Amino acid sequence: MHDQDRRRKRGLIAFQVFVYGMLIAMFAIQLQMYLTRHW
Amino acid sequence: MTFPTTAAAGGPLSMGEHEQQSRAIQRRADRWLIAGTGLMGTLVLGIVGLPVFCRGLYLLRKAQRGGLSVRPTMVTLIGFVIILDAALNSIGWALDLFANHALITRTVFTAWGNLIDAGYFWHYNELWIGGAGAPGEKAWVMVCVLIAFPMRIAAAIAFLQMKRWGHQWLIVTCWFGIIVWMGYIFNMTMYADVRYTAVGFPVIGWWAFNIFYITPFLAIPYLHTVNREIFSD
Repeated sequence: MHDQDRRRKRGLIAFQVFVYGMLIAMFAIQLQMYLTRHW
Repeated sequence: MTFPTTAAAGGPLSMGEHEQQSRAIQRRADRWLIAGTGLMGTLVLGIVGLPVFCRGLYLLRKAQRGGLSVRPTMVTLIGFVIILDAALNSIGWALDLFANHALITRTVFTAWGNLIDAGYFWHYNELWIGGAGAPGEKAWVMVCVLIAFPMRIAAAIAFLQMKRWGHQWLIVTCWFGIIVWMGYIFNMTMYADVRYTAVGFPVIGWWAFNIFYITPFLAIPYLHTVNREIFSD
């Protein structure tokens, strides 16, 4: 595999970990609030 | 020059015939795909649109197996799903923006808001512009309905036509999508007390409904790794 392709794939994996991680983090924060408040 | 193909019953095709047949089947499949996406994009007729869309996919798959040169399945799926995503969001938010005093908006939106997102219940139609009254919500609605979604739909149409600018602008507008999602979720979380207090299904209800709108997250890796030479200038 071309070196540039490998770097691009690694970058995309890091990007996906980041954005899905952010989503999960926001969901977790909202869940935590749900458990402690009287919604 | 001839192509070994099973698409024609009468044996090998000339290059001209091969191209003509490929174009014809592509156009036929596209009619089903466009009709299916259009129906699903209305939200209410989604169930009717799905089989129509699947019939288009089936026609393309059959043509591919028969050796005809049609659009790659992944390009078809990503292009139409992005159009569908933008259309579904647009119809809901366009109603909230332009038709917030219509009977259907006042009943369906506030009922939906009362169920999972009080941004569409709390002070609904009480601000100067009408519609959702949650902090920041209207700005997101406007930037999406007036700028981001029309651009995404235009880019996705050119992408489906296998044009290079379609591929490039789909990358740009999918990154828009990331910013919109992130900003919107931050906003939801900051004002969670407004949006979830006294609703039927707080948090889980909202996420279960909205998670399907993450299309840009799914398309970006493909758009950055696909061989861009398959898109023409």
